[in-house]
Parts: sequence; structure tokens; C-alpha cells
Amino acid sequence: MAERIDGVRKLFTSKSARVDTNRGDLYYQQLFDTCRARLDALREQPAVNRLDFDSLLTDEGQDRREFMKWVSAVTAMLMLPPMFTPLVAEAAELMNRLPVVWLELQDCAGNSEALLRSDGPKIDEIVLDIISLEFHESLMAPSGHQAEKQLEDAMEHFKGNYLLFVEGSIPVGAGRDWCTIGASGETFLDHLNRVAENAAAVVAVGACATFGGIPAAAPNPTGAVGVMDVVKGKPVINIPACPANPANMVGVVLHYALTGQVPELDSLLRPKFAFGYRIHDNCERRAHFDAGEYVEEWGDEGAKNNFCLYKMGCKGPMTFNNCSIVRYNEGVNWPIGVGRGCIGCSEPDFWDKYAYERPMANANIKAPTGGVEKTVDQFGLGLLTAAGIGIGIHAVASAVAGKREEGGEG
Amino acid sequence: MKSGRKQVKRMTGAMRIIHWANAISMVAAVITGLYIGHPYYQTLIADGAVDKYVMAWNRWGHFIVAIIFDVTSIVVAYLYFFSRFEKPYKKLIPTGKNVAEFGEVLLNLVTLNRRKKFDSTHSDSFNTVYFTIFHVLLVWMLFTGLQLYVHGLESGESSIGAWWPALLHLATDWTIPVTGGTLMDVRISHHETMWLIVTWVAFHIYYQIWRTIFWKEGDIAIVFGGSKFAKEQES
Repeated sequence: MAERIDGVRKLFTSKSARVDTNRGDLYYQQLFDTCRARLDALREQPAVNRLDFDSLLTDEGQDRREFMKWVSAVTAMLMLPPMFTPLVAEAAELMNRLPVVWLELQDCAGNSEALLRSDGPKIDEIVLDIISLEFHESLMAPSGHQAEKQLEDAMEHFKGNYLLFVEGSIPVGAGRDWCTIGASGETFLDHLNRVAENAAAVVAVGACATFGGIPAAAPNPTGAVGVMDVVKGKPVINIPACPANPANMVGVVLHYALTGQVPELDSLLRPKFAFGYRIHDNCERRAHFDAGEYVEEWGDEGAKNNFCLYKMGCKGPMTFNNCSIVRYNEGVNWPIGVGRGCIGCSEPDFWDKYAYERPMANANIKAPTGGVEKTVDQFGLGLLTAAGIGIGIHAVASAVAGKREEGGEG
Repeated sequence: MKSGRKQVKRMTGAMRIIHWANAISMVAAVITGLYIGHPYYQTLIADGAVDKYVMAWNRWGHFIVAIIFDVTSIVVAYLYFFSRFEKPYKKLIPTGKNVAEFGEVLLNLVTLNRRKKFDSTHSDSFNTVYFTIFHVLLVWMLFTGLQLYVHGLESGESSIGAWWPALLHLATDWTIPVTGGTLMDVRISHHETMWLIVTWVAFHIYYQIWRTIFWKEGDIAIVFGGSKFAKEQES
């Protein structure tokens, strides 16, 4: 009976966004063995750079204890039981065997910035330092033909093994010919497809690379789309948000180092460990939402008392992300924490449909539908008025006609 | 009773209960729904957040009446096909007879009751189509509303078990691509459909009052007592 119930549950939940955090001892034992074998194989491989994790830690003034604290946090973030902690630590140390190629297309380099933020580096950044970044236009010393050569070498040398990070959207409409890369003038589209062909997996980072982001906002002059609309036949992992949270990038890379597989994804290809929950459900201001205590205008008493930002247009109730849990800037704060609403930057079409703190009921967002709830309310009221006028005409006409009829009869 | 008139049964007890459950639920759903979309009144109570729960009460009320709606929708859908009283689906099939009846009722409406060439002792084709549109709108509210609701159960757990959010995802996830691709579109559609339903209600109330007072058909009695008086017709 229990098995049957389990089977039915599996059937219903297979494609849903459900996050299963306890899959039973057998599952985790098998996963543990897989990870063990994977790490052993990784250790056999020659390091692609000479960076040593332990000495890097020491150089940056971090001790082993700090590191292990970080490791247990990451293990929990990846929704793995504590027995995986030593494996996660090992995966971090073996990160220099993992080649990464980073492409920048139609973007603002904000995700590179988020990745490399190194003001007093924490463990996250040290881990990201140690991945073998084989190619990154904004960071590397070579340029022009030399840079292209570097990319060709990396693609050849690590064929089928490198992770391809993509930042920025891809123009596929009229704009495809305007946006070219390198001395050969290759279009973004061709460039991405060529580099993706030999990648182990493609990680789309940031709002632009995942769902088109700001370049794809109406009227989308370049015909921008996200990576998953272009790259076929490769596993694509989306890490949306503007910028993507470095913690989630580290999570995906660590997961890949640990298991050799992409993490479990939701229907929008976002890792469930990071995008399995609504911001609203983990928001520190949630109690004020339920209480009906809202900020009415910027700087009012409600704002000073950290009331809910829903009325100011916070999109937390519709946005899936873990920023209310892991936060940004070394976990110091996040948008709602600093007193502004969520703009839904990790959702598709965020600029047209979510965007700034426009309260839903007053919003007149330029969108393909012609507008958001303000337009809907105006349309609805118009429709109701039209019906009322129709009813009125019919009523008056009937009353007049009825009297005439009665007069006729009498 | 006037001579030449007969009493005809038009609604069963169950149908009347459903009607009034829906009517009351709808008023509650519109009031609470407008608050949820745009919390227009502020709490005047100076207690701490922990004691008042204004939004929580509005959402609670909204969900409770929504569930009543959902369950009556299932009953109505069943009665469409299997009612022992009247099977509305029979009036929906576009046969020549039904189309003619639909046209006659519509013509009677726009000619201000000048050509009454249909039988008002049973639910006519126009009436059935009109009510079907209402039920379609309600079902759409059901799917979009449950889709918006299930995201609060994103852990995959609920107080009644994991099957409930799983079932909701299975049943309502399709509304996202259908409305335009994001949760925001589902929300807009849910909101927009409310206006269509309110407009529907405006006409419905007008039409029934009109048929009762000016056309002297006494239709409003149907929803209270279940029957009305109709002129005996020579057939």
C-alpha cells in the first residue's frame, strides 16, 4: 500500500516544482558512492591550473575551521544530508580540475562582477578563483586573435569536459547581424552554438542569458532570447536574477564537481535547490503582509517600521529565488532587507511584466497584453459601464414600449 | 392563481442551494479579491502584527469561498449531464430546434418582448448558453486561482498531505503558458475574468428583474420557491 501511494505521488510530482529534501537512506547511500567514485576520478585528472586550494585559503587569511563552516552551509543549501560534508569539502579542493569557459554576449557584465566581487574575499570567491577559468573576455590579458586562440585551445583541449557559462542574451532577430564577436566577426548566435557544441553543460547566468532579460524587453530591438531558446542537445541550467547570486553559481559548479551531473531542475530549468521557494514565503516582512501592515509611501512610518512592501509593488509573492535565505554581498542584505520591493528579476519577462516597484493595481506596464492590472481594471469598469448603459437603454425602451402597448390595449 | 396559468417547476432544491451559495460566495470573493490585489483599506487597529491579520483574514475568506465555488462547479458539471430534472447539455447541442429557440429568445429580448415565440415553462436554449458561459468563466477562475494558490505550497507539503499540491500542479500548471508564460499573466487573467463575471452578473440580475416585473413572467420566484406561473399554451 505504502509503495502504491509512493508510486502515485511520484507520478504526480515528477514534473512539478516540488523539492524533495528527504529521499531515504538507500538513495543517499547510492549517491554517496557515485560522488565518491566521481571525486576519485577527478583527483586522478591533472589539475588544469596550479592553484592550490589550501594555500589559497591560508593566503587569504581563512582557516580550516572557517572553511568547514562554509562547507556545511553549502551542503545544506544543496539539500544533501550532513554525511556529504567531507565530499563537498573535497569537491571544493578539486575545483582546479574543472575547466570553465565564460562567454559574454548582450549583457552589462553584472554577473561577472557578482562572480568576481573580491573585496575581502570569502570562501565563495576563493572557490571561484580556483576553478580553471579558461576563457573570459573581460578578465583575460590577451585580446583579438590571441584571445580567440585561447578559446580555440581550450575548446580543443577540454573537448566535452568544460562547463560553459553564458552571460547575456542572444540576438536572433534583426539584431543578429549587428552583434558580432572577435576579429572574425562571428555573430553571437554562431559563436554560442560553436562553443556550446563541445561543452559538458551550459550554465546560463543572469536574467539576460536565461529569459532574455532587459535586452528582450519590449520592443526588443535586437530580437534577444535566452540560451535555452538557442542551444539544443545540451543540458542547460538557468541561474536567473539580476545579477545571479554567486552562491547559486558556486552551488551549481560544486554540484557538478561532486556528482558529474546537473542539479535537479524545475520547469524553467532553474536548480530547485535555489529556485524551489517563493521569496514571499521566506520573507522577513511576511508577518506584516498577513497583518495588513503596509508601507504606503517611501519614507513613511510603515517604512521606518519595516512593514510589508506589497503595496509599493513588491513582487515577492510571484518570485522564486533563494535571496531571502542566502542574501547578497556575503549574506549581509538583500533588496527587501534594505527597504525596497522585489522586482521579480529571476522570473521570465521580468522587465515587461514585473519590473520596478509598480503596485499591481496601479501598474500601467507596457506589455504585450497592452498593460497590467490598471488596464484590466479600466477595461473591466468600461465593460461594466457599457453593460450598464445597454441595460439602461433596454430598460427605458422597454418601459416606453410597454406603456404604449398598454395604452393600445386600453 | 389567475385562470389560464399553471405552476411549473423550474429549479430543484439542490439547484437553488447552489445558486445562493454561488451568489454569496461571489460577493465575498470579489470584495476579498479586490483587497488582495490592492489592499485599499488600512488596518485601524493599533495592535501588533501578531493580533490582527487583516490580509490573512481576507485571503482566508477568499480561499474558503473559492473552495465552495470549486465544489459546486463539480456538482454543476455533473448535473449538466446527469440531472434527473433537466439535462442542460441537451440545450447546448446546436440542433435546428435549439438554434431557433436561442434566436427567438434573443429576438424577443432586443424587440422588447414583442415576439414571444418560445416556451417559457422550461429553461430555454438562450438561458442555458448564458449560464454555460458563466460556468466556463468560473472554471477558468478555478484553474487560475488554484495555480496562484499552489505556489504558497511550494515545499510540496500541505496540511492534508503532499498529494494536494502535487495534484494542483498537475491540474493547473498549463494555465501559465496559456495566459502568456509567467505567473504574472495568470494573475492578470484571474483579475480580468472577475470583471467579466461581474458584468455577467449585472446583466443576469437585470434580465431576471425585467422578466419578472415588465414581462410579467414572475421568473424571480424560481430561485426562491423553485417554480413559476406560466400561461397555458395551446400546443
